[in-house]
Amino acid sequence: MGDMQITPSVTETTRQNAIEVAGLRKSYGSVQAVRDVSFSVGRGEIVALLGPNGAGKTTTLEILEGFRVRDGGVAHVLGHDPGDRSAARELRERTGLVLQDIAVEPYLTVRETLARQAGYYRGPRDVPEVISLVGLAGLERRKVRVLSGGQKRRLDLALGLIGDPELLYLDEPTTGFDPAARHGAWELVRHLRAAGTTILLTTHDMAEAQALADRVVLLSRGAVVADGPPAGLGGRDAERTRITFTLPAGHQIADLPLPAQAHDGTVEIETANPTSDLHLLTSWAASNDVALSALTVSRPSLEDTYLQLTTAQMPSGAPERSTR
Amino acid sequence: MTTATLAARPSNRRNNLALMGHQVVYEQLSFWRNPQSAIFTFVFPVLFVTIIGALFGAVGRSSYFGGLSALQYYVPTIGALSVLGSCYGQLAVALAFRRQNGILKRVRATPLPAWAYFSGLLAHCVLVSLVDIALIVGVGRLYGVPLPTQWIAIAITLVIGAACFCAIGVAVASVISNAEAAPAVAQIVLFPLMFLSGTYMPIHSRLLNQIAGWLPVRPFNEALTGPLSRHGGADWRQLAVLAAWGAVGAVVAIRRFRWDPRPQ
Repeated sequence: MGDMQITPSVTETTRQNAIEVAGLRKSYGSVQAVRDVSFSVGRGEIVALLGPNGAGKTTTLEILEGFRVRDGGVAHVLGHDPGDRSAARELRERTGLVLQDIAVEPYLTVRETLARQAGYYRGPRDVPEVISLVGLAGLERRKVRVLSGGQKRRLDLALGLIGDPELLYLDEPTTGFDPAARHGAWELVRHLRAAGTTILLTTHDMAEAQALADRVVLLSRGAVVADGPPAGLGGRDAERTRITFTLPAGHQIADLPLPAQAHDGTVEIETANPTSDLHLLTSWAASNDVALSALTVSRPSLEDTYLQLTTAQMPSGAPERSTR
Repeated sequence: MTTATLAARPSNRRNNLALMGHQVVYEQLSFWRNPQSAIFTFVFPVLFVTIIGALFGAVGRSSYFGGLSALQYYVPTIGALSVLGSCYGQLAVALAFRRQNGILKRVRATPLPAWAYFSGLLAHCVLVSLVDIALIVGVGRLYGVPLPTQWIAIAITLVIGAACFCAIGVAVASVISNAEAAPAVAQIVLFPLMFLSGTYMPIHSRLLNQIAGWLPVRPFNEALTGPLSRHGGADWRQLAVLAAWGAVGAVVAIRRFRWDPRPQ
């Protein structure tokens, strides 16, 4: 192990974050696609940029990939500035990307498509290995144009992996997948992470962010509105828990030991201390010999948080706009 | 990825020549795999010269064709037409298509340098042009056109012409914003220019010839007619005009070429 720390610079590089973004800005004409985006991605981490369409996810990704020139702010990818042309080739050697749209030429076979791409890198992965990794084994000699949509998507993913990237960008990787294919893709992403690959993905699917990401960066209208592990996003773990049950017959809401609201016979209690409040409630029920039917205890789902955070700043009736 | 793995990576950065060869091979492979483009590229000029031969095969040397027989006139101009078709027309359309489909963006995301990508395309276009000219000269021979003797001059003219029209093709692809419009835009520029330049029939207006002489197509026709039909050498004056157009095309291509389907 000591061998890995021969020179200080090596240790320094290892310690650096894979991605470091601060105050990123980008406008298209008068449209501010990215207003103020700051976040970081540690090495080996999976981070999801989550947000509705037009939140600035893809623009942010494209700035990091070197496809767009930022108007302002700081960006570092693997220790390089993605806007620096002299570092572009080095960065492309070490990063892989999967775009939103399927981009494969129709007339080559699966194997040829990957072999061509592999030839562009100094240290590519083994072509057959990548083919089986993405689940295309047995289709090596199949022409790309006869593949199904899902198979093309997997070929797309294979193209992103063939250069053996340290950092992989996935732009909405499972859009259009059926549930089985989606879970397959998730397994693959976890497998890559286990092998040490850093992954930055965009998604508007909360389940995907929750299933994959170590950390979620929630974007809304070009700015970061929350950043943290999916479980604690937007201070969700500190938020109030909701207890609901059916008001027992013969009792009024005022009889309950806690302040509560009732809608159509369903009692709703919001609490910051669910354990002790539940104890109060169940003791009250036991001593009055009534049942609390349809009792549920829930915390806001990631979806609730997402909707709350991404719609909070949206003026009502604001037109949906796409930055793409 | 740890630095230990990085250090373990062999430093086998491909030398640039190998990278270019790799790109040429796969560019050829995807071309030949598409039967439509391959057939169209080669069958069209052959068919064209065959029809011209059937129509004018018996027309001997005449002042109308500048002292040449009809087929001696048409073999080089149709040869030029086929080079224009594959280097300018098909390239502009193919690049617009690849950009629109995100294929160019995908390529841009790899370490493949832009020059290697474009040299693959150029090599492909030169090769297709050589095959086209060989086929057209072959058909011309069947109609009694004597085989040319100035092969080196023909090769020089073809390489300069192909490179020039490739550069213009890339330049036009740079200013075309969507793939559906690409074939129309490419043809709109080309078609009147070919008429004006005597591709389809000799032009006897001195003024028109002077104007066309400063545009790219007529110099290429002339430069090919010399070695193909008059046993002349490379026509450097015409090639210089051609090269100047190629340079203009290259400058526009370099400044305006986009890999990304969406504008900045």
